[in-house]
Amino acid sequence: MLQPRFLTPLRALERAFTPSIRSASSLYQPQSLITRTLSANLTIPKTTPTPSLLSFSQVRYASHASQGTANRHSRDPAGKRLGAKRSGGEYVVPGCIIFKQRGSKWFPGDNCAMGRDHTIYATQAGYVRYYLDPLQHPDRKYIGVVFDKEDKLPYPRNAPSRRRLNMVPVPRLEPIAEQSDLVANIDENGVQVGSVAAADAATGPQLRPGYMYREANWVIGRAAEAAGVFAKPYDNRNRWLAWRKRQARAERAAEMKSLRGNKKAAKKAK
Amino acid sequence: MAHCERASKPLLQCIRNSYARSLSGVQVQTRGFQSTSGVADAQPEQSQPFYKSPDPSLVSSPRLERRLMRQGTAPIGSRRRRAALQTAGGLPFEQLPYQCFQEARKVLLADRAQKLEEIESMRQKIARLQAQPVEQAGGEISRKSRVTAMQQHLEKLKILADINDPLVKRKFEDGQGDMSKPIYRYLADRKWREYRRKILVQRITQMNVVPDVLPQCDPVVETKLYFGKRQIGPGDFVLAKDSITAPKLDVQMFESGEKLVTIAVVDPDVPNVEADSFDFKMHYLAVNVPISAVSTKVDLSQLSTDSQVVLPWVAPVSQKGSPYHRLSVFIMEQKDSQPLDFAAVKAKETERENMLMRTLQARYHLKAIGAHLFRSQWDQTTLEVMKQIGYSDADVELRRKKVEPLPYKRRNPSSFR
Repeated sequence: MLQPRFLTPLRALERAFTPSIRSASSLYQPQSLITRTLSANLTIPKTTPTPSLLSFSQVRYASHASQGTANRHSRDPAGKRLGAKRSGGEYVVPGCIIFKQRGSKWFPGDNCAMGRDHTIYATQAGYVRYYLDPLQHPDRKYIGVVFDKEDKLPYPRNAPSRRRLNMVPVPRLEPIAEQSDLVANIDENGVQVGSVAAADAATGPQLRPGYMYREANWVIGRAAEAAGVFAKPYDNRNRWLAWRKRQARAERAAEMKSLRGNKKAAKKAK
Repeated sequence: MAHCERASKPLLQCIRNSYARSLSGVQVQTRGFQSTSGVADAQPEQSQPFYKSPDPSLVSSPRLERRLMRQGTAPIGSRRRRAALQTAGGLPFEQLPYQCFQEARKVLLADRAQKLEEIESMRQKIARLQAQPVEQAGGEISRKSRVTAMQQHLEKLKILADINDPLVKRKFEDGQGDMSKPIYRYLADRKWREYRRKILVQRITQMNVVPDVLPQCDPVVETKLYFGKRQIGPGDFVLAKDSITAPKLDVQMFESGEKLVTIAVVDPDVPNVEADSFDFKMHYLAVNVPISAVSTKVDLSQLSTDSQVVLPWVAPVSQKGSPYHRLSVFIMEQKDSQPLDFAAVKAKETERENMLMRTLQARYHLKAIGAHLFRSQWDQTTLEVMKQIGYSDADVELRRKKVEPLPYKRRNPSSFR
């Protein structure tokens, strides 16, 4: 590009012409090719307080803009770090991500599953295998996990599946039939709030937060079920029921409308 | 109801108006009849109105159908047909007033007559071939294969003779088909294969019963399973309380003859904590159970204990927290339908735990011809059942083993610096 020293004679030229230009500024617009191209790339330090010729607004043509690198960044986004996270034979534990991909380039095989963005992850601890299974699908690639390091996938078609229990025995806990709750006691010392001995839900209403004697929410929610009351399943062919529902809705809408109308009228009256 | 009545309208119109007029001059081989006379005559005979005692072959309103079903009788055929029959007055096919229909019936009857002739000639051919000396017939093997092929063709002809008969179709759809006849067996088999067999095969393959318990199974008999009165679909969950008693099976064969089968109920999902895997358990084993196309009911609890039941029923229970148990029922044909030696089998097969179906199959030359599947899991009745049958691990619950995370490893550390 042009070096600053080339600009010096230009500036002298500019200074020599300035007075005459000023007199005819409305008529003459100096647009030399040099200055136009320069002003696009270089900022010229102002030496004189007078308005510089070089700082005139320039016309940009589309051909010039398209040659630039303006769209480079949108064309070349950041990498998404896709690909294999674990290679064949590597040890994985459940939840371990094995492969990240866009679309299902690989499918989950034995002891693997596919996440919502098609990520393949392990569901069992074992060793990763990348394999083809033509009997299952002619051209799908699978990722699987085997328990033994020497095993190969796919297993023979009629072999019993290899499984792990992955569970430990613990003493069985009885389901908690009673609920503890916060209870408030009001006496001369003030209000005492504390958790009290668990009360059986079946005994009936107890003092609950909000100073209400009532049953627990879940008991209330299952009251209908306990009483054997069930909502009648809606039968699409029952037109009589449909008509009644429609009528009730229309009546309610009319009622709401009339209420709204009254409110408006009341407002207007004020 | 409106739909079915609309559908039967053409028939009614035809009977009421056109038929009587058009028939006045034409001589048809059917008996003449007055429009709606059948119904008109029938109605005074009924002392009570129709809705009080609805006829299962004529009822068309859903309310009356429901009432009938509550009483225990299912309505016959489709509702559309019942609505049409209400006013048709029980006319037999040969008197229906459709000329085109009657012409078509003539074609079908001619075809049937031809097929009957072919059947007769094929029977004679087979008899002649079997009567021939071996040398003349071209050797024992050749004769046998020829006879088999001819018999297969004969069976096909028997079906072709009846398959276009409207009466056969109607009887089959009404569930009155006689399963001792080849045509009804053929129709039942076709209907089973259209949907129910597909469901069964899907369940036993998707739930991996087939490679886990047996290497393969191609069901050819329809198996229904009942606990009490309730029918259990393939793969349904069954409450522990319901499965205390052995189920009832309905094994429908679609071939002629009688077969002796072995019935086994296997659970391949018994948790084995020490080995961190699953064990098998045989819940029931019976041999020499006769089934045929007409005698289909097999009550597993009613089989004879001194000639059939090798291992009596044990109620399936699953521990709390364990994955669901697949209880697979297999109907296995014994080789050449020969009875197994019950005493020997009983002496050998005493251990329920880890009895493999593959071993049994190989040891007694069995072939799986039917399958069914139900599942059990921990439910509110399991504990009670466990106490009742004396299950040892009733107070143990299974929890997921904690997964040890992999040690943190910095991958390619030089690139991070």
